[in-house]
Amino acid sequence: MGCSSSLPDRNSVRSGGLNPENGGGNDAKNIRVKLVLLGDSGVGKSCIVLRFVRGQFDPTSKVTIGASFLSQTIALQDSTTVKFEIWDTAGQERYAALAPLYYRGAAVAVVVYDITSPESFVKAQYWVKELQKHGSPGIIMALVGNKADLHEKREVSVQDGMEYAEKNGMFFIETSAKTADNINQLFEEIAKRLPRPSPS
Amino acid sequence: MLSDSNSSSDDDQNPKPDATSIDQSLDAIENQLASISMSQSVSEFESESEHGIHEEETTELNHQDFRNGSLSEIDQLSLHNSVPEEVSRSEKDVDEPKASSSRLWTNAVEEEEVEAPSSPSSSGYAGERGSSSSASGILEVNNDGEIDAVRNDGEFDEVSDSQAPWVPGKRHGDEDDASISWRKRKKHFFVLSHSGKPIYSRSVIAAQLFLFHCSIGYGDEHKLAGFSATLQAIISFVENGGDRVKLVRAGKHQVIFLVKGPIYLVCISCTEEPYESLRGQLELLYGQMILILTKSVNRCFEKNPKFDMTPLLGGTDVVFSSLIHSFGWNPATFLHAYTCLPLAYATRQAAGAILQDVADSGVLFAILMCRHKVISLVGAQKASLHPDDMLLLSNFVMSSESFRTSESFSPICLPRYNPMAFLYAYVHYLDVETYLILLTTSSDAFYHLKDCRIRIETVLLKSNVLVEVQRSVVEGGMHVEDLPVDPASRSGTVSHLGQPRIPTGPPERFKEVFHGIGGPAGLWHFIYRSIYLDQYVASEFSSPISSLQQQKRLYRAYQKLYTSMHDKGVGPHKTQFRRDENYVMLCWVTQDFELYATFDPLADKALAIKICNRVCQWVKDVENEIFLLGASPFSW
Repeated sequence: MGCSSSLPDRNSVRSGGLNPENGGGNDAKNIRVKLVLLGDSGVGKSCIVLRFVRGQFDPTSKVTIGASFLSQTIALQDSTTVKFEIWDTAGQERYAALAPLYYRGAAVAVVVYDITSPESFVKAQYWVKELQKHGSPGIIMALVGNKADLHEKREVSVQDGMEYAEKNGMFFIETSAKTADNINQLFEEIAKRLPRPSPS
Repeated sequence: MLSDSNSSSDDDQNPKPDATSIDQSLDAIENQLASISMSQSVSEFESESEHGIHEEETTELNHQDFRNGSLSEIDQLSLHNSVPEEVSRSEKDVDEPKASSSRLWTNAVEEEEVEAPSSPSSSGYAGERGSSSSASGILEVNNDGEIDAVRNDGEFDEVSDSQAPWVPGKRHGDEDDASISWRKRKKHFFVLSHSGKPIYSRSVIAAQLFLFHCSIGYGDEHKLAGFSATLQAIISFVENGGDRVKLVRAGKHQVIFLVKGPIYLVCISCTEEPYESLRGQLELLYGQMILILTKSVNRCFEKNPKFDMTPLLGGTDVVFSSLIHSFGWNPATFLHAYTCLPLAYATRQAAGAILQDVADSGVLFAILMCRHKVISLVGAQKASLHPDDMLLLSNFVMSSESFRTSESFSPICLPRYNPMAFLYAYVHYLDVETYLILLTTSSDAFYHLKDCRIRIETVLLKSNVLVEVQRSVVEGGMHVEDLPVDPASRSGTVSHLGQPRIPTGPPERFKEVFHGIGGPAGLWHFIYRSIYLDQYVASEFSSPISSLQQQKRLYRAYQKLYTSMHDKGVGPHKTQFRRDENYVMLCWVTQDFELYATFDPLADKALAIKICNRVCQWVKDVENEIFLLGASPFSW
């Protein structure tokens, strides 16, 4: 036994490095998709993922290191299932240079900001530009304004988020990982926008 | 002042070129320290004359005195009743009055404990907003994976131990006091750049200062900013003279400097830990920084001398506070050795076999650990892992909560392996305390490592390794009470670390000497370090050393003993026997091992020596359970 013998084959299949195997995994009814979350530190990327994957919300600090990998499958109304393989990246500056490692080959990018933090909105725009330059062609991008429950502290208007998203061909939604508001909708909307593989 | 370029004994012959200006700097530092510690009561210090008595009275023995590798009773061993170390300062600290400048700190603690929906940072995303709350380091995960209220304000002498049960929301009386306790703290760590820019400080005030740039009044920040500048001035002044500052003594304080290229590390301490220990701690602190950023961070300073490094360390405060905490309880920090979780030989072999299998498939290091103890580890051919790197890596993994949430893939650097390059670490917790780290040089290897982990996990579950690990955690390691009576009469029925398990054969113990307290002949505790294995084993703490304070004091005594045994000026010593008010300590160093044993202060010397021989025999008898054997890629 051993990975040693099978390693070269795997590498040839996974030319995209951190990409999941795209070959073989997908058919018309079962879609597998790599999704990456990007955004400033502290905007709630991990909270969104944990709410979506485990239905949990943990208010304590858990600064992501490098990137965490989680997956979650959802079923759509047309009986297709979509398995999201999610890379939840660290927002810290020292990891910025490593982001391509995680977004390379991603079919979906979710760019998150915090509606109470204009700086995080600026950072989101940086990520959008970076993805436009270096992301997979045809990548589906979502712009997410998180912490929508803190509307009394809001500093980024819905209007601003929406306009920026529209201009850049992105899907826009405001969420709250804390209250679970719009979290499932976010992933369902993404699933709906995925290109369906033609039955082979 | 000692200087690096010369051996310390030469210093007096090397007066500094401009004595006046360095003296001024020293005066400045002393004045600042005086103001820092002004709230410290005089009684907390011993008088100067009491310092260092232990060190001077060590006894060196000739190797011929050992017959057949046994430590025989030697009358030349000097007994000395040295002045006891100061005790339980921390008790005093608890009653200190609270300063009003503690507001921020107190608020920060409350943020973690209750969710108050009124402020943005307590919105329920408290920690999420990154550096601010992590900077104040409210919760710390110690190396046992237990969460502990942080003494970020740092009553270091009151450190809790690995054995301590986790008390949720545990607070120390001195903890909610920012400025006073900062001044009162026994030990401060600072990291600054050569241009004087703060990089890290383990201090609430400094953290507020450096990371929030906010003012909390009382002029403390000015004091500290001036302080940082003073430190920088001293280092630069001496460096310009082609020399290096190692140590400044200012009254009761030692100021220890470590210069690593553009990064200056400073420790200010009145804990009376030896210089070598404190310097070792600064080295580890630097290593932890390299683990996170690699040494190539130096290039940023080449491009821009005023480069601000703090954003690059964002969110890692808890890693450093956990490391600093471990300086107070983890013997690995001064022994430069790692410790294993006791396991049956076959169990450890089973774990090692699957890790080896994975290592053969292109994984550089495969490490399976439970808390800070190694279950098994394997390196690719010719790759060796330094114990200090293991300490820093396990500290990094255990203190970063996010690794517990899901599998992760993160760049890390092993400073002793290659300080310039990142490796990629796949980290996954197999249960609450047991985690697997797979290291690779390839940034693309995530899916391969994930597959490896799945295979490892399957094998570990099938071969019951994880169950055995849990059992070992519950049973603990070597207990001094279980020291076998007579090596000759060892029975074959022992199952766990030589403890007879059969109720019909209760262990005979040396109860005639100190009945019911510790082990035979007043043996309270021991640490055995195997020199080739780079591993150590420490006995579990038992009855006389039961409180955290006692454990802490014993830890410091070991630290001192270790340093005196390795003193390059007068040593290396072969044995040392010392008696003070608290303990009899016996240390024995051979080519193969170092034994540090602690006895009741009234213990009989002859008997103590006999017991040490027995301990060594016991360790040899159970070495395949307490050490990782046969994994010999650690040759450097």
